[in-house]
Amino acid sequence: MSELAVSELSPELVASLEAIVGKDRVLSDADSKAHYGGDWTRVYRPAPCAVVLPGSIEQVQEVVRLAARENLAVVPSGGRTGLSAGAVAYRGELVIALDRLNSISDFNPVERSVRCGAGVITEQLQNFAQEQGLFYPVDFASAGSSQIGGNISTNAGGIKVIRHGMTRDWVAGLKLVTGTGELLDLNRGLMKNNAGYDLRQLVIGAEGTLGIVVEATMRLARPPQDPVVLVLGTPDMASVMEVLEVYQKRMDLQAFEFFSELALQKVVEHQGLQRPFESPTEFYALLEFEQRSEADMELAMELFEHCVEQGWVIDGVISQSVAQAESLWRLREDISETIARWTPYKNDISTTVSKVPAFLAEVESVVNGAYPDFEIVWFGHIGDGNVHLNVLKPDALPKAEFQQRCGEVSRWVFEIVQRYGGSVSAEHGVGLLKKDYLHYSRSALEVDLMRQIKRAFDPAGIMNPGKIFDL
Amino acid sequence: MKVLVAVKRVVDHNVKVRAKADGSDVDLNNVKMAINPFCEIAVEEAVRLKEAGVASEIIAVSVGDKACQEQIRTALALGADRGIQIETEGAVEPLVVAKLLKGVVEKEQPQLVILGKQSIDGDNNQTGQMLGALANMGQGTFASEVKVDGDHVSVTREVDGGLQTVKLKLPAIVTTDLRLNEPRYASLPNIMKAKKKQLDVYTPADLGVEITSHLTQLRVEPPAERQAGIKVESVAQLVDKLKNEAKVI
Repeated sequence: MSELAVSELSPELVASLEAIVGKDRVLSDADSKAHYGGDWTRVYRPAPCAVVLPGSIEQVQEVVRLAARENLAVVPSGGRTGLSAGAVAYRGELVIALDRLNSISDFNPVERSVRCGAGVITEQLQNFAQEQGLFYPVDFASAGSSQIGGNISTNAGGIKVIRHGMTRDWVAGLKLVTGTGELLDLNRGLMKNNAGYDLRQLVIGAEGTLGIVVEATMRLARPPQDPVVLVLGTPDMASVMEVLEVYQKRMDLQAFEFFSELALQKVVEHQGLQRPFESPTEFYALLEFEQRSEADMELAMELFEHCVEQGWVIDGVISQSVAQAESLWRLREDISETIARWTPYKNDISTTVSKVPAFLAEVESVVNGAYPDFEIVWFGHIGDGNVHLNVLKPDALPKAEFQQRCGEVSRWVFEIVQRYGGSVSAEHGVGLLKKDYLHYSRSALEVDLMRQIKRAFDPAGIMNPGKIFDL
Repeated sequence: MKVLVAVKRVVDHNVKVRAKADGSDVDLNNVKMAINPFCEIAVEEAVRLKEAGVASEIIAVSVGDKACQEQIRTALALGADRGIQIETEGAVEPLVVAKLLKGVVEKEQPQLVILGKQSIDGDNNQTGQMLGALANMGQGTFASEVKVDGDHVSVTREVDGGLQTVKLKLPAIVTTDLRLNEPRYASLPNIMKAKKKQLDVYTPADLGVEITSHLTQLRVEPPAERQAGIKVESVAQLVDKLKNEAKVI
């Protein structure tokens, strides 16, 4: 697809782009290209031909029309916190960064909805909701940088999925600039709309391959009352699932996360945090629930006692203040950042919740069997069947060799995923990183239908080409 | 050695407080309450003294309505042996609290009393000092290190410009600063054990104290809102504004 890309834009094209977005909004210096052309993956070197920063929906449309005329590939760019290289411009594409579409408007207290530009930062929306006495429940470690447009394009999940679902569940409507530069206004905030296909849902999670999400109407929730966090130590993974079952049967959990002892060790050591309790256990479960009354607390205690009697839980702590709840959350949320120094090989895989223990044991035995010198850090949102497998690079092993060996690991892991009917990408998307493995989760027929859908939205094939699948 | 620690129920320090619409007080309706962070440090220090074999018994005391039993239970879960609630209604000022605590000191005869240096609601920083005067005990305030040695305690104090170490004869009073220790989490098994620990309730009259108020709260209002910032176009403009508008350089 090299005809869609160039390493440098011609002066005429630069002038045309400048005429649309303004002189300072077309960037082609090396720093800007590296910044706007990449994401949190460090596998592909960002190499866009240029970066444009449109300031309105009309400008996005004009830039896309120009790109379509010139047969120039474009890559939309949000907060650049992706973990699958879905927003990496790696072969001379034009980056359209949505950062300037960052206004929040039209708050509607009756509908509990608000209109957001694609460049609104997740935390900005969370804070806005809080000021209105409401709550935007999609939350994850990168909320301080990630943008709503990117969240929608990747259907971001995070730590409250068990209770509040994914980003998809909070998009009441969205505007999309298609590959021909036309503007679609999809669903317009309607609660009930069975008039034909819901194209909005196709766009959510499409990683910018169908067009550019430029605006969305987001729903807001009632804020949780008094969130309380428990961290429980368990002897094995099967016990984690028992705990989940026991608590979920009786309580509305806001979150159910897990992490391994190795993950805890690394976080405690490198973030200067306190262990929840002295005795180490194989795995830890982190639960959050809303304390609406004294009875909720008593129930949580009663279930804890039951779990201890059954031998599923060895020890546990409970937050006594908001500060403690936040510190306990850090034990889980700081894992990614902590292990980044071992350039981990990351996998974001899912299966149905009940299959997780067997699935995990099988993956671990395969990896351990082949590479006994690799450290494996497990953590994830076990309550929704999503686990993050992280293999740490031994310090002595060169990076290239580590990546090559992990490539083999991937194949084995994904074969297990396939056998369990799971997904090779639970919440990070496919991008470039998982493209070769898509067939482990999706049939040839499914992928072919996806291609046809893409052609309908983007006949010239200029919208983020090469991501998810090749045309 | 018997140790007495005081714990206060306050608004959780992560909660953004609001003034009531009529400006009479802080709005405490449906607001998360927690143990005052400095009191939590006091409890932790007492528990560490017990773990080191220095303290033999820890008594946690709180002044307030029935709700403050929750904070006493937290202290019991963290390692205090028994609790005392002194039942009062409404806000009590530092002098009253100090008098009530003096009553408990007379009853229990602790060798060491550990309190937070201040509570994060009133920010008074008075109770420990007043109790020292009333009970005629030496005081080591703003402690960042506490070492008991025989019938003395050495207290390293955080003072302006550095650290000061004082040596006090027991019985003595210590008030805690932020760097003294990092409090542990309350473990669930200990929270359950805490439910069975002894918790006595006294009235001020039991301690021979009559509650009189010397303070009247006139008004509570939120701090002035900050003006929005501006973006400058150039370094020259920034320097110009710092010089001529802000007049700071």
